[in-house]
Formats: sequence, C-alpha cells, structure tokens
Amino acid sequence: MEELPKALKDIISTFEVLGEEERREMLIAYSEAAPQFSPKEGESYVLTDVRKDEECTDTVGVYLISDEEGKVNFRIHLGPHVQTLTKAMTSILCQGLSGSLPEQIVNIPSTFISKIVGGELFRVRSQTVYYVLGRMKSACKQLINKKTIENGQVH
Amino acid sequence: MKKTYAHPEVLVETSWLQDHLNDPTIRIIESNEDPLLYDTGHIPNAVNIDWRADLNDPLIRDYISAEKFAKLCSDKGISPQTICIFYGDKSNWWACYALWVFRLFGHTAVKILNGGRDKWIKEGRPLTKEKPTFPKTEYPVPLRRYDSEIRAFYDEVLRFCKEKKGPLIDVRSPGEYTGELLHMPEYPQEGALRGGHIPGAKSVPWKTAVNEDGTFKSAEELSRIYEQECGISDDKETIVYCRIGERSSHTWFVLTYLLGHKNVKNYDGSWTEWGNRVGAPIER
Repeated sequence: MEELPKALKDIISTFEVLGEEERREMLIAYSEAAPQFSPKEGESYVLTDVRKDEECTDTVGVYLISDEEGKVNFRIHLGPHVQTLTKAMTSILCQGLSGSLPEQIVNIPSTFISKIVGGELFRVRSQTVYYVLGRMKSACKQLINKKTIENGQVH
Repeated sequence: MKKTYAHPEVLVETSWLQDHLNDPTIRIIESNEDPLLYDTGHIPNAVNIDWRADLNDPLIRDYISAEKFAKLCSDKGISPQTICIFYGDKSNWWACYALWVFRLFGHTAVKILNGGRDKWIKEGRPLTKEKPTFPKTEYPVPLRRYDSEIRAFYDEVLRFCKEKKGPLIDVRSPGEYTGELLHMPEYPQEGALRGGHIPGAKSVPWKTAVNEDGTFKSAEELSRIYEQECGISDDKETIVYCRIGERSSHTWFVLTYLLGHKNVKNYDGSWTEWGNRVGAPIER
C-alpha cells in the first residue's frame, strides 16, 4: 500500500479487520456521508467534469479544488440512481484522496477497492465501485494536461 | 366487458401493505439489485433476500438446494402457508425473480407490491433500518423443484425455436436485441461474445409492461401488447428470456399472473448462456 495516500491507507486498514456485518454498516455510514462532498455554493473549481456515462446508472459530476501547492480536494455530485456502494466509495475516496497531488492520484491502482468492499458484495452488477475512482483519475489527468498547456503558453 | 387481471389477488398496493405491516400471515420480502439498499432503509418488518447470496448456488450456475431453500424460509420465519409479498428496486425486477424462484420450490402463496420500493418511498411511506427477526418455522424440504413447469433450459429453447412451437419473447432493450449492444445499457461488464437474439424471438422490452411509476399497466393494455401483438395464448407455450433471467421474471409474472397464461417458462440461462455458447444460432 506504499503508493496510496495515508488517509486512504487508514480507511483500508479499518475495513480489513471488519466482519461482514460491520463492513456493511461501515459502507452504509460512508454512503450516507456522500452528500457532504457535494459541490457547495461559493466554491470555485479548477476543473468541472459532469457527465452520464455508459458505466454508471446516473450522472456523476466531479469538481476539483486546488490549493497553492497544487494539492487537490474533490467535490462529487451523484445522481439519485447511483448504487449505495458507489455512494460509499465516493465518500471514502473524497476523504482518502483529499490533499493529494493529481500526479499521485492518477497512479493509484484500483486493487485496494476489493479490500474495502469485500468478496460478498463484489458482483458483476456492482462494478461501478471502480467507476468513481476512474472519474477522479480522469479529472486529475485533465487538470495535469490543462496545466501543461497553460505553462507551455506562458513560457 | 372491461378486461381485468386474471389474478388480481397477486398484486398488493402500497396503501394496503402499510395497513398490514404487522399481519402475522404475511412476510414482506425486499429483493434488490443494489446489495446494500435494504440496509439503508426498508419497509418496516421486511426481511431481505439477496438474489445472489441467498438464492443462487455459489459454485454452480443454478439455484440453492431444496434443503437450503427450506432453511432460508425457516430463518426468515416463513412457513409454507405464509403469504410472501415481494418488492424491490428496478421496478421489481429482483422481486419478480425471487418470486419466480420461490415458485420453483413450490411456494405458491406469493404476491408483488405494485410499484415496488420506489413507489413506496415516493409516497412518503415509512422506512426503517431495524432488521426484524421472526421465530424460526419448520419449513419442510421441498420434494421437487418445478423446473419443468416454469423454467426453460438451452436444449428446450433450441428445439422450441427450431420447431416454432410458440412465442419466444426477448425482453431486453432494443439495442441488445438487434446486437448493436453486447451488454445491457449501463452494465458494460456483463457482456456476451455475440450480440443479437435467439432466432424467431420477438422484441418486447420488459418496460413495455409498466407505467412511469413502475406499476403494472392495465389488463387491457397488457392483453393488447402480449396477446394481440405477440400471439400469446393458452394453446401455445411461451418462453421469455433476457440476460440472466431477472427482467424476464418480470415479464413471466405479467404473463402468468396478470394475464393468466398457464404455459409460460422463463429461460434464465438467457443471453449470457445463449450469446456465449458454442454452436448456438443467433439472429441479428
């Protein structure tokens, strides 16, 4: 887990020791916390990516906030029809990746997700658990490209 | 005379259910695609039945054994006489699937909550996170499974389409039927090697049977769609299929209970079997 941000590693460690019932309860708690990471009035975003993809049952909007050091925070809007597991992963990732650099986020492997979700809840029709991480990485790639172009134009 | 449902007693309305939440003769069963949805809140006194973990064998593509079915019912406080009222997400896809599996094991006291989970919530009816427990029952191990009556297997479907024995209904989306999509919209992971449909199948997407709020259309509308336009009648067998058998369970319910046809089978192997099977003929 060396390549993962500390906050995310801590969340994964918490899940790894849970039994199935506790894991479900923890995932529900995270899913209920997802609205906390919705975009807020007055915030300004360096990148906005809102779309309805084939891979997900509803629209997902990814909004990036960047500080002076280039570290990012995420705001994510979820349509009402997304699955509970997707809501939970949104909350986990917004917390776990908060304050990371975009360059670090694009290289995060998705293998840790199964440690959080566990075998019982992993099924063909729950694969959108990977979707939100993919969208966050995609937003970071877009931000990196945007900065590269801006820097190229400046110099 | 206005046509009515053949078995109106199999549908319960949300208002009726709210008045019968503590009725000891019923068991309310939620069955969803979203495996955590029940835990986020459910109808008071409803138990959860997970279509995969509870109803499917973990190692063989088939349903649980008769012994496990009896234990499942016993654990949920269901006796052979208990009226099981199913509801769930996705306009009751999985509720109908669970109902169909209960019928496979011979449990005939079954009903569907018209409009399912979404309608209950939209009407502002009560939800709880409290998981009920009921005294265990003595549910006898079913002596047989009713596969030959309500379930179709690959070889039977192949014969059925070659001999043009009756209506074969594809309830998937039009894109899946034509072969333009190798998967169900929004579920790209659940693909098949080939796109198209079983030769001779007619496309009638499951959604054709429901109104905007997920409730079932009237008997007259259903009769027009399935009997007049597809030629479904009691003198011919009908087979329905989709991708893994859940959407087709919904149509099976409509044909069997709302229109009252006695000779309808669900091909639950569906396109994930047919579209991947070596030697299976397809049409596009």
